[in-house]
Amino acid sequence: MIRKSLITLVLFIGILYLGCNQKAEPNPSRSPANSAPGANKEPTITVNIDKSPLDISYYPADYPQLKMSGNVKEPVVARLVYSRPKKDGRVIFGNVLKYGSRWRLGANEASEIEFFRDVTIQKKLIRKNRYVIYCIPYENKWTIILNNDLFTWGLKIDSTLDVYKFDIPVSKSQYAMEYFTMEFERQDTGVRLVMAWDTVKTMLPITY
Amino acid sequence: MTVLFFCVLSLGFDAIAQTKLAPVDKSPLDMCYYPNNYPVLKIQNKATEPCAVRIIYSRPQKNGRQVYGELVEYGKVWRLGANEATELELYKDAKIGTNKVKKGRYTIYAIPYPDKWTLILNKETDIWGAFQYDEKKDILRTSIPVEKQQEPVEIFSMAFEKIDGGANLVIMWDDVKASVPFTF
Repeated sequence: MIRKSLITLVLFIGILYLGCNQKAEPNPSRSPANSAPGANKEPTITVNIDKSPLDISYYPADYPQLKMSGNVKEPVVARLVYSRPKKDGRVIFGNVLKYGSRWRLGANEASEIEFFRDVTIQKKLIRKNRYVIYCIPYENKWTIILNNDLFTWGLKIDSTLDVYKFDIPVSKSQYAMEYFTMEFERQDTGVRLVMAWDTVKTMLPITY
Repeated sequence: MTVLFFCVLSLGFDAIAQTKLAPVDKSPLDMCYYPNNYPVLKIQNKATEPCAVRIIYSRPQKNGRQVYGELVEYGKVWRLGANEATELELYKDAKIGTNKVKKGRYTIYAIPYPDKWTLILNKETDIWGAFQYDEKKDILRTSIPVEKQQEPVEIFSMAFEKIDGGANLVIMWDDVKASVPFTF
């Protein structure tokens, strides 16, 4: 029994070593077939940490901690679950990510945003719900898209399930952000979703 | 001088603006689905059954420490991970052991003992750890088996393994492997 487990474990590590190396690539032009080896090999115990680790952002920021310490001042508005690819010396925008091509705003699984109440973005009413969030980056603007194709891998998001689209301007920073980062920041009339990677930073204002 | 002053100033602001955003966590988040790798199967049109469950959990590392009985104390509620309480979302009604559980989003905890664990499902979601864990919000408590592993697992790991009629949620860290039977 132990020996069997050991052999299986070694197999997992092997499969995952291959898997992780290819899994985290943020390039949207990769074919899905290449990006997901191990998909048919059961079981898959992920003994390695992903190259583009998952993370979670809330508004209010750190809502779970606020809740724990009894410091919640307003109810939870939004939650974002996304993977964080690394720059690793590469030029990201216009290179790793092609302008005009769809990008999953992260890596691995499609990034997911959940609104716990109705909100407004660019005068459009967004219903309380969970959505896939992705992006089409251009040099001077990003098109941010909310979509209903949940629980999917980010390289193939069904665009017929797009529900909302927003164009937002791009600003450049002198210093590069190593890990792709998304966070909510408080504003007078609501919050904004700040997205930053490499020397690019964008903001999506959300009111409620 | 003025130019230098502004350079320093803008450098300072930029550095602040950069560091304000979250670094990658020491115990990074991860997720697992049943069916395993469901999002990948979905885009390859290879999903043979609907998405049943997803777990989002943080992955602490052993880092040379004795985990069970020390870092994770026996007899105490543990968040099955790190940081935020681990989340289990059922996309359909299921059974955990012999207990029926309605579809929905839950937090999941364990009370480890040397020979078995108590698994807990609780309805308080979006919470940090087990610090404010409230027993009154439990959905179920059930005993699950553990076995010793010869090779310690460095990074806390969870995954579903297909079994007849369902799946086992396998939880591995250090030299312990726990299994939670799910029926869908």
